[in-house]
Amino acid sequence: MSGPLLLLTMISGVYLLAVLEEWSATGRLSLSTPVVRGLAQLSRESLVPRKPDRLLFELAPALLLLAALLAAAVLPLAPGLMAVDLATGALFVNAALAYVMVALVMAGWAPDAAYALIGGWRFLGQLIAYSMLIVMPLTAVAMRAQSLSTTDIAASQAVLWNVLTQPLGFVLFWLAAMALAFVPPFDLPVALGELAGGVFAEYTGVRLAILRLARLVLVLTLALAIVVFFLGGWLGALLPGWAWTGVKTLAVAALMLAAGRYVPRLSPDALLEWAWKLGIPLALVNIVWVGITLLAVSK
Amino acid sequence: MIAAPGQTVALVVFGASALGFGVAVFRTKSMVRSALALLGSMSAVGGLFLALETEFLGVLQLMMMATEMTIMAIFMVMFMMDPGGLGQMDMTHQKRAAVTAGVVGGLIAVALSALPSWAAVVVAAPAPSVQLHDLGIELMSRSMLIFETAGLAILVAMIVATTIALAEKQP
Repeated sequence: MSGPLLLLTMISGVYLLAVLEEWSATGRLSLSTPVVRGLAQLSRESLVPRKPDRLLFELAPALLLLAALLAAAVLPLAPGLMAVDLATGALFVNAALAYVMVALVMAGWAPDAAYALIGGWRFLGQLIAYSMLIVMPLTAVAMRAQSLSTTDIAASQAVLWNVLTQPLGFVLFWLAAMALAFVPPFDLPVALGELAGGVFAEYTGVRLAILRLARLVLVLTLALAIVVFFLGGWLGALLPGWAWTGVKTLAVAALMLAAGRYVPRLSPDALLEWAWKLGIPLALVNIVWVGITLLAVSK
Repeated sequence: MIAAPGQTVALVVFGASALGFGVAVFRTKSMVRSALALLGSMSAVGGLFLALETEFLGVLQLMMMATEMTIMAIFMVMFMMDPGGLGQMDMTHQKRAAVTAGVVGGLIAVALSALPSWAAVVVAAPAPSVQLHDLGIELMSRSMLIFETAGLAILVAMIVATTIALAEKQP
């Protein structure tokens, strides 16, 4: 399918998400806000800290955007409607998203500033908490589809969506995806009011605009991943496939953003403790459960 | 096997960037830059795998190295006295021995690539999904003992490390 169309879909998705983010933060629902905010952001001065690691400082926002876009490239909007169809798609999503952490550590280290540094290294700790909870539910999803291809995984849910066959994996993946996208209550690397913006604190003007855009793309990509892996992808009645994917993805993204309004931020140690003492054992239970159901069904 | 022109270009580009980043690892005094340059080199090797039509290995390489190299970076920052490289501290030692070891190691690697008679090159690489399937069968049959042993060893190391890190109980 043509690249420009996919790009246009991504841009409009991000725009709608920006509207939703504004709503989740302030309670105001306005279609023009992202344009106004974006223009204001771009017209601001782009300051550079006094003694930065200039190379990493400039690279980090671009890498964050690239990682989120690469992960989105292998996720289908409808059968055949995707940038690249890889046989290892589900693994590739994970590989691309690993560079989100690299970008944030870079952005934290580069400005030579305390809050940014703490934010960056914090996200490395956050990765230790969420990464297994991304991979293990994905394993169970791939088990059912008997394939790592994202198209096969979505198609494998024709009879029953994965959210119903493996609800435990769905919840764990959803929470881990929120932690990966560092949306509240998992916004430890930016932590407004505590780290004064953390990794984003030293960025201004165009660079901050790119970082914010990248974060929105990341949220959208992860919402799309949840839809493809657990909510049947393009499957649905009446509407065409791509429309179902769009509706589901925006709904998931809105819920991801809305949750932060009602839940207080977790502390890093609590996040790690919950992830390792409860999350990973539950993810193992999920894999065993899916294995048993698959064996029972195939008999 | 005759490579497509694009494939040859990708091989040269990824190979050259793997070497370039490899040199950059030793040309900087900043621990974080050094670790990230190593990540660049390792990612380029991942790109090489992709260019050689081994999709799973390429994607796995890209995924594993991102986390490993960044975790290495934080340990380097914790243990080194001048992690930012701003103090211009000289951190090299035993230069002659290191150069000798490097040259000898390099020569051995070149010899290993040239000396043995490698088996015939496959005409066409199997489809990525077939490669995945074959790899799964291999891991669950012939290579199972090797991987299980390695997994057990790593698990033991993790338990031991955690035990050592726990606070001392005695007064």
